Amino acid sequence: MTPLPLAAATLTNACGVGLDEIRRALRAGTSGLRHNDFEPALGLDTWIGRVDGLESAALAPDCVEHDCRNNRLAQLCLEQDGFVAAVDAARARYGADRIGTFIGTTTSGILSTELAYRSGSLTPGSPLPPAVESAAGLSPELYRYKHSMYATTMFVRSFLKLSGHAMTISTACSSSAKVFAAAARAIDAGLCDAAVVGGVDSLAMSTLFGFHSLELLSRRPCRPFAAERDGISIGEGAGFALLDPQAEGPVSLLGAGESADAFHMSSPHPEGAGAAHAMRFALSSAGLTGRDIDYINLHGTASRANDLAEDRGVVSAVGKEAAASSTKGWTGHLLGAAGITEAVISALSLIDQWIPGTLNCERVDPALNSNVRVKSQAMRLRRAMSNSFGFGGSNCSLVFGLGR
Amino acid sequence: MRPLAITGVGVCGAGFRDWTQARALLDGTAVFGARAVEKFDLACLPPIERRRANETSRLAIAAGLQAVEHVSVAGRERLPTVFSSADGDTDVLAHLLAKLAASEIMLSPTLFHNSVFNAPAGYWSLGCKAQAASTTVCAGRASFAVGLCEASAQVLATDEAVLYVAYDMAFPEALRSLGRTTMAFACALLLEPMGDDVPGPLGMIEGWERDVGAHEADAGPRALAEAFAGNATAAALPLLTAIAMQAGAEIRLPYLDDERLRLRYSPWS
Repeated sequence: MTPLPLAAATLTNACGVGLDEIRRALRAGTSGLRHNDFEPALGLDTWIGRVDGLESAALAPDCVEHDCRNNRLAQLCLEQDGFVAAVDAARARYGADRIGTFIGTTTSGILSTELAYRSGSLTPGSPLPPAVESAAGLSPELYRYKHSMYATTMFVRSFLKLSGHAMTISTACSSSAKVFAAAARAIDAGLCDAAVVGGVDSLAMSTLFGFHSLELLSRRPCRPFAAERDGISIGEGAGFALLDPQAEGPVSLLGAGESADAFHMSSPHPEGAGAAHAMRFALSSAGLTGRDIDYINLHGTASRANDLAEDRGVVSAVGKEAAASSTKGWTGHLLGAAGITEAVISALSLIDQWIPGTLNCERVDPALNSNVRVKSQAMRLRRAMSNSFGFGGSNCSLVFGLGR
Repeated sequence: MRPLAITGVGVCGAGFRDWTQARALLDGTAVFGARAVEKFDLACLPPIERRRANETSRLAIAAGLQAVEHVSVAGRERLPTVFSSADGDTDVLAHLLAKLAASEIMLSPTLFHNSVFNAPAGYWSLGCKAQAASTTVCAGRASFAVGLCEASAQVLATDEAVLYVAYDMAFPEALRSLGRTTMAFACALLLEPMGDDVPGPLGMIEGWERDVGAHEADAGPRALAEAFAGNATAAALPLLTAIAMQAGAEIRLPYLDDERLRLRYSPWS
């Protein structure tokens, strides 16, 4: 594919609001994880990556119909790092209707509906009496503007005053990696000239209790790739990038690879075959081989099976040379926002010539053979890969490089 | 975007189980009567997944399988897919919300993994052993048009066939305060690059212009349009009607905001 420059980028998660704070947390080795204090899921003994202040945040006045935790998180993130100004400049150049919006999310604003039903003490399986429904705030508008899968993209478009082609991609934890591939295709096909890509996922009961039902939540801060790893920590976060073919961005998207496992709905292929396919497709679309990759930001969730499968995939598709690390010990697993978050962290690594280690991993599992770095370090690097894998066997791998 | 060939089609929903039945309704040779959605048995899935797959996945996959009837097993394994839906699996959502509203919260792992928006795509890849790229998109009421754009952009980017599957279910009674769609509808199109300017056996699509004028989106045959009102995937009805009648047509699909996406359909002959 033609390299696609990142003209601007921003992140917000438990490690910080905006890139400066997140860079500081990465440098200092400070995790954003805390013991679960998220009120709707208080019973769960787990650690979470929670963004402070969302409960009292307010949306821009012309977007209030979108008010929910997910869109508050999206807005908080969009307001950082001069992102709005960068989009304003792109809008002036291309026109609002020529800038696409591609957003990944797994649960959008479902928390609003979860809490509304809970406040109505729903009897499982039966409808609520209309009076209870309206007292709880349940309405088609709540669903459309806050909860539906498109609601997040609708809000981002409205906040950034964009009217170009748009979609939500919801493929579980690969969602906001795949937005890069979809945006690149749309620009190639002439559906838009530039694109805002991103991902937003906020804490919700369905994901916390859902991963609990699969016995995938660790009772400690997650320890990716560690011998003692025993599950994931869920976090919330948002991230955005502006992809502009005419920009002189310091970093460009060089390649993207997508694949399906065709193995199981919630467990990865044990040999990481699907993950390896995605990495190989990403390399070939960038015109590169495994030896050209200097650093891999792993999906690295800290689940026993996922890290093992990813390790096998990395060794077979990229090799044992590239330095690799997982940053989920800092942020937690951001689900539908994991792809964009780790893509932007990979871009920061290229710009800063510095790679984060694998926080909370004291001893790398001896059964894993990729070149996992526990300690952060300065490093010369030109190209970085970012991996994202999700339920339904959905895999996406991205390659970024310095320059155009 | 360049023109694309349509080489396969599949439809199922409340009142028709396949393209043959739907075609007779679309070209006016049969009269529509709403019936409950048939339960599709997915013989292609391993027994455990066959039990776990919910109705939404069954409907979407049944439509997809019709569109690739003529494609070999090996061809299906290599075939990329794009799925779209405005509302996803409303039945699973109702169960999930009910479980989360209970005083003691206990979710089943199957309910949770079925709740991901890409569950039908996941079951498709299991059933067809398809390891190619697969995505699932949503754009509210524009979901059918936006999914069609994504599938078409993929065909043009790779110069290979892509299966496009769109589906939307009824909102169950327990969720009637959130949405009022009452009838399920799924359709699938196999899209391929044009070879030597000859349309595919079912015709071709081209155009892709945004239409901000006062034109309404096309609705398709009245009885069907009324029955499936509110179902975002039923936006496909005018295009499916043109294919069924093998009649050239300009089609306006509901697009983002209050716009339409204008396509030109041309038949085979």
